[in-house]
Amino acid sequence: MDHRDSALSEDHSPSVQELRELLFSQYREKLAALEAELDDLESRVNDEDALTAMVTPIIGDAIRRKIRDAREEMVEALYPIIGQTVVRAVSEAIRDLARTVDAQMRTTFRPQMAWRRLQARVTGVPDADLVLRDALPFEVEEVFLIHRESGLLLWYISQASELALDSDLVSGMLTAIRDFAEDAFGRGELADLDEIQYGERCILIEAAQYAYLAVVVEGVAPQGFRAEMRERIIEINQAYERVLRDYDGDPSPLAPVEASLTSLVKSVEPRSLSPLQKRIVMGLLAVALLCGVTFCLGGYWGLRALRTTPTPVPPTAVPTTTPTPWPTATATVTAMPTPTHTPSPTPAPAPVLGVMVGNVWAYESPGGGARLEKILERGRPVEILAVFDNWCQVRWVALGQEELRGWVPLRWVGTLEEIPGRLVTPTLVP
Amino acid sequence: MMKRLQKKICLLGDFAVGKTSLVQRFVYNRFSDKYLSTIGVKVSRKTVVIPHADAMVEMTMMLWDLAGSQDFEGVRANYLRGTAGALLVSDLTRPETLDSLARYLKDLRTVNAEAAVVFVANKRDLVAQQQVSPAQVAQVAAEHGALYYLTSANTGTDVEEAFRSLGRLLLEH
Repeated sequence: MDHRDSALSEDHSPSVQELRELLFSQYREKLAALEAELDDLESRVNDEDALTAMVTPIIGDAIRRKIRDAREEMVEALYPIIGQTVVRAVSEAIRDLARTVDAQMRTTFRPQMAWRRLQARVTGVPDADLVLRDALPFEVEEVFLIHRESGLLLWYISQASELALDSDLVSGMLTAIRDFAEDAFGRGELADLDEIQYGERCILIEAAQYAYLAVVVEGVAPQGFRAEMRERIIEINQAYERVLRDYDGDPSPLAPVEASLTSLVKSVEPRSLSPLQKRIVMGLLAVALLCGVTFCLGGYWGLRALRTTPTPVPPTAVPTTTPTPWPTATATVTAMPTPTHTPSPTPAPAPVLGVMVGNVWAYESPGGGARLEKILERGRPVEILAVFDNWCQVRWVALGQEELRGWVPLRWVGTLEEIPGRLVTPTLVP
Repeated sequence: MMKRLQKKICLLGDFAVGKTSLVQRFVYNRFSDKYLSTIGVKVSRKTVVIPHADAMVEMTMMLWDLAGSQDFEGVRANYLRGTAGALLVSDLTRPETLDSLARYLKDLRTVNAEAAVVFVANKRDLVAQQQVSPAQVAQVAAEHGALYYLTSANTGTDVEEAFRSLGRLLLEH
């Protein structure tokens, strides 16, 4: 065969050429087609856009299929990348939320906000943290005090009484689970199972030498809650060491622990102020109240004094026939609008005092007669001598001047009491 | 006023001797038996009232039903901690289960040398299949200075009495 092939290839006769053409033409065509296809592929591979357009649907389908068929596997594969990103994003979002809440709290005023702000100042916790703390639900549902060796329930506190029925069984199984975890994962280490998470609920465990505390909580435990649990169990362990070491199954000697465990439940309620802080706040409130009352009373008395007491008139050497300084009980006893210059030694009724409530011209007679070219300023104390129609005759003393009298419209004279009838004259007496 | 006590009791014995059946028949169960195959134990409760020193004592027995399979050999020692007493259960139709009791007892004594024990030979209702005689059970129990009961979880024969007997022993301890 080899000899014949080599003979053919070396033979250039037409017949051989024709035969060669017949034999190889189809391969040549196929080669050309393949070459064209390769060129096309090469151009697509080199063209990034074309390659993306070609590969994207395939990869998309593959990923979709993989997610559908092996969701857990995909989550695990992507978690190292996505997990951190999500954690970072959530942290940032929470920080933003805190900033927003903080800003809102600083710009709005409501009694609740004011109280919280005061609480924040006193406790040293930022306002926003207090708001966030209020927003994050947390509740202690059950508290188990369990004998560490036997798993026997020593004491139990629950928000719901019906749960108490199985509390001893739960404490037994919980201890069994702890024992199992210790055997399965302990590997000789001095370690304990300290938390079991189930959905929104969580069992927090703190152990001491002879007993451990299991607290079923819902929500996010506030900072320091675990430390408080630890403190409680250590206290109990120390206080009842002998009972717990040789526990005979009688929980009655442990009855006093109830108060300690109850305080653990109460400790998660919104943290109230300490007695000293409460005393300080109450003191401040009392001082503020006292100041307010004093201010109000002072204002009232001031106004009253202003209305009832005329401005003290300094004694002046007024060249008048009356030797007594004004104001004296020298008003005329007659209901005459005309003032009298006659001093009367007889006791007269108390003068009726008023105060000007506006700046008003004084007139010689009622009804708008000739003006005296004197203005009675608002706030000036006057003595009301007579009233006629809507006019009022008053007497006043201007600083450094003699006693003056004149008529002013009645509406501009304020009084604390009604003007006595003896001063009202139906007719004008000159 | 009645005194109330709690005691941890373990049920020990080979696989399928009827420990779980004894528990199921007479005690209060809350948890599923699947715990036995997952963590090797299931806790149930049995309350008995026992006369003691001219008074009545209400004893709540927290029953730890330990899986008999070899898979949980390692963790069994952990489960035995704090045990006040044990029911050592064998199967009258399988002689080897009676022989195993010595090993379980040894494990128990390692953890608590003072633990009270009662031997229970179960499935006494399967008369035709019995391969262990009451005398054999009595001999093994006597060797360990323990009481024994021939029980049937199926019919309930002497099950209650076995628990009560263990309760009395615990009060005498």
